Amino acid sequence: TGEWHKPGRRRIVPSSVVLTSFQVMSRVFLIWAVTHSVKEVQSEDSVLLFVIAWTITEIIRYSFYTFSLLNHLPYLIKWARYTLFIVLYPMGVSGELLTIYAALPFVRQAGLYSISLPNKYNFSFDYHAFLILIMISYIPIFPQLYFHMIHQRRKILSHTEEHKKFE
Amino acid sequence: MKHYEVEILDAKTREKLCFLDKVEPHATIAEIKNLFTKTHPQWYPARQSLRLDPKGKSLKDEDVLQKLPVGTTATLYFRDLGAQISWVTVFLTEYAGPLFIYLLFYFRVPFIYGHKYDFTSSRHTVVHLACICHSFHYVKRLLETLFVHRFSHGTMPLRNIFKNCTYYWGFAAWMAYYINHPLYTPPTYGAQQVKLALAIFVICQLGNFSIHMALRDLRPAGSKTRKIPYPTKNPFTWLFLLVSCPNYTYEVGSWIGFAIMTQCLPVALFSLVGFTQMTIWAKGKHRSYLKEFRDYPPLRMPIIPFLL
Repeated sequence: TGEWHKPGRRRIVPSSVVLTSFQVMSRVFLIWAVTHSVKEVQSEDSVLLFVIAWTITEIIRYSFYTFSLLNHLPYLIKWARYTLFIVLYPMGVSGELLTIYAALPFVRQAGLYSISLPNKYNFSFDYHAFLILIMISYIPIFPQLYFHMIHQRRKILSHTEEHKKFE
Repeated sequence: MKHYEVEILDAKTREKLCFLDKVEPHATIAEIKNLFTKTHPQWYPARQSLRLDPKGKSLKDEDVLQKLPVGTTATLYFRDLGAQISWVTVFLTEYAGPLFIYLLFYFRVPFIYGHKYDFTSSRHTVVHLACICHSFHYVKRLLETLFVHRFSHGTMPLRNIFKNCTYYWGFAAWMAYYINHPLYTPPTYGAQQVKLALAIFVICQLGNFSIHMALRDLRPAGSKTRKIPYPTKNPFTWLFLLVSCPNYTYEVGSWIGFAIMTQCLPVALFSLVGFTQMTIWAKGKHRSYLKEFRDYPPLRMPIIPFLL
């Protein structure tokens, strides 16, 4: 198999494009396709839960990137970025899952974003089933991302303790 | 005759893996790979990548030792390409799946649609026609894999078979589900639409086959020669005047025909995804033609005449 030329990407921070795009898409999905689309869940506590988790995470994460780019990264920020996720990540995931779960009966009742047979394009889509599939997908995906962060934490925080020993 | 010494180092760790002495100067990389396998049997030749520079390009099997920029002690770097599987195996598996899976839906095997529909038959002619076309397409692909295609690479990474089969089998099941559904709606413009679509499909299948034969005839059996393809007496091959990869052009055309015939959105989506992938391949092939041949016809585009 040939590997044909891959266009170069502009890199400002070293994060993986794939992982980050994935996270952005999942956030947009939660906000637009679930919370905004199903008005009835907007008063749920679970929404508060993921909004708080995301907000704190992003404030720390972007401070981390900014300070890194300025070559002046306080250890506290680095520590916070690689430690607080231990609580914030499960918190966010719980909020997301509970919100999707709360939306299910309303989606089913209204037939939201769903199309059934027969129709002239011979296509069907069941948004309710789709949301359940999304919830199930958290089972393989969440542990992978979580343990990836744990692994990163071990690598990066122990690095600093050894006063930036170069490999 | 002066013999060469060849040492093989791991490209990542620089660990010395193998030392070969008294290697003939006209030995090929393929022969060196065979010698390397003797000391490391788990790394069969197909999964070896040998290069002159740890981060450089892989050397070709046909490269001859004395023609390489090395001294009489050559240092080669080894990278493990991972478990490999033959292209033929992958193609046969990925094409046999859709053939079989589509028929499961066509015959309305139990547990797909409601029990009252088990083993019933659609009352729409187009559904039977679609089954014939889809089956013909994959039978053609299987036969071409066995008797027509001459592959330049023997193997690909093993994980590709899972990726490829998921794609082909998944889409086949998705399309087949709707086309053979008891609630299937035939095309809006009826028999006219079906006839036109069938014509497009047949023409493109013949075209695609013609190109495969023309490409086969460019390359003698067992060789890996590369030549610029040109139109032959067969009118279907005249598309070579305008595109580098008319086989992909005809393939997209076939699926567009099938989509129009069945008026089924999943088929259109499958065509779109296939088109995207084939365009990437066509652009790559076009670029490598341009790089390899100074006199490459300038009018040609990769996949769509004048456009793409």
